[in-house]
Amino acid sequence: MICSYVVCGISYVALLAGAGAGGDGVVKIFLAGATLLGLGTGFAVVLLVASEKFKVEIDPKIEQIHEALPNLDCGACGFAGCGQYAKAVLADPELLGACAPGGAEVLDAIAAILNLQVSDSGPAKRPIVHCRSRRDQKTFHAEYYGIPSCTAANALANAQACKFGCLGFGDCTRACKFDALHVVDGLATVDYEKCTGCTACSKACPRGLIEMVPFGHENMMTVACNSIETGRAARAMCKVGCIGCGICAKQTDQFGVTDNLARLDYTKYEPDEQAETAMTKCPTGVIVYRGPTAPEPRQPKEKAAAAKA
Amino acid sequence: MDTLSGLLLAFISIVIINNLVFTKFLGICPYLGVSGRIDMAFGMGMAVTFVVTLSGTLTYMINNWILMPLGLEVARYVCFILVIAGAVQLVEMYVRKFFPSLYDSFGIFLPLITTNCAILGLCLFLNLWGVDSLILAVVQSFGAGIGFTMAICIMAGIRENLQLADVPECLKGAPITLITAGLLAMAFMGFAGMIR
Repeated sequence: MICSYVVCGISYVALLAGAGAGGDGVVKIFLAGATLLGLGTGFAVVLLVASEKFKVEIDPKIEQIHEALPNLDCGACGFAGCGQYAKAVLADPELLGACAPGGAEVLDAIAAILNLQVSDSGPAKRPIVHCRSRRDQKTFHAEYYGIPSCTAANALANAQACKFGCLGFGDCTRACKFDALHVVDGLATVDYEKCTGCTACSKACPRGLIEMVPFGHENMMTVACNSIETGRAARAMCKVGCIGCGICAKQTDQFGVTDNLARLDYTKYEPDEQAETAMTKCPTGVIVYRGPTAPEPRQPKEKAAAAKA
Repeated sequence: MDTLSGLLLAFISIVIINNLVFTKFLGICPYLGVSGRIDMAFGMGMAVTFVVTLSGTLTYMINNWILMPLGLEVARYVCFILVIAGAVQLVEMYVRKFFPSLYDSFGIFLPLITTNCAILGLCLFLNLWGVDSLILAVVQSFGAGIGFTMAICIMAGIRENLQLADVPECLKGAPITLITAGLLAMAFMGFAGMIR
């Protein structure tokens, strides 16, 4: 530090020498140099003392972990950014694996820095939106002209008839740092190619529609509905809602119905014939595939649609 | 001017009427850059207040007691920058030690206080305005810092509310911020002429 000030002083002497080459410049040049040198040295001493007094010890491991992290500062781990996570994981190894975008590679890298062994933690988690209702399949009692955000619309009873389904104002889209979530025709739709599993969207959704699901297979089957209304009420609100009829649960024990809502047990899910039958037999077509190569969900049966109309 | 009322007038003058941000448009970069949230804006204001008070005082002393007698007015800028840079280094170490979270959220803006033109501007204005006593220089430097804090906090408050406003697409982001800054400056023009 002292060095830099001395250099500064000397370079200024040179500068002045150039500027005031003629006349009484010579004395001034030395005066200026001396003044700068004096000031510089004075500050250098003060700063030296201060830097000793305010010294912050930093563990070199923090730096290493920080470098191993993806440095996206997405906040998936629950900390403000990668720097904070690096500090936290050093203090508490339990937090290993909280970095969703980094995945297994980063986990191994950090474990190596911390000298830890890690066991396999199962398939990576990806979000599934528990709603499949597009705008023309939903029922609206009134038109919503409020703040265009799901959180605001959710505070109103009548933003749309269904109190459980996707509102489509894109709070999740704004939360996503990877451009992996878009509202398509009134429904939040995940782009699984871009998704890193950072959980930001599932935290942003005011209706808790987005669940992080262990993707054991390339495409996962899911009951794309979150409504616990009775069958009659659900049908009145949405053409593609779950009515809790239990037909899927009769096909295979991978499905179960509680509170008028069928759910797939994602840890049990196998893409076998029974599951396939459950999907085709579902009267409202609410059981769909989600994933990077998921086929288009089938349209609701004409009968159901006609009964609604 | 050294009477208590004189000092008070000088203080109010630099905080409200000759506010460096609103009337001289100095220190605009942190004013726009760190005014996203009130708590951060306040922290920034405090840091700037400390730096500007310290460097205003020191540069007044250096200018009047060293440079002027030696006839080295030409070296003013380089000396002032030296003082400001030193003061900023001090603040940086202090904040890093005692307010680590604030340090993290400031990021690059903390060392950039060095290039905050409001600070160098104030140091030079003290000379330009012919401030003739040390205590007046201290009061004015401190007032400049408080004025900056006030400006940046008002701005942060407005911008926090602006988040909820329905801003036209073409004005989102920087444009509406600049318009806000302009309107604020115009509002503060109303104080002009109250105290000379």
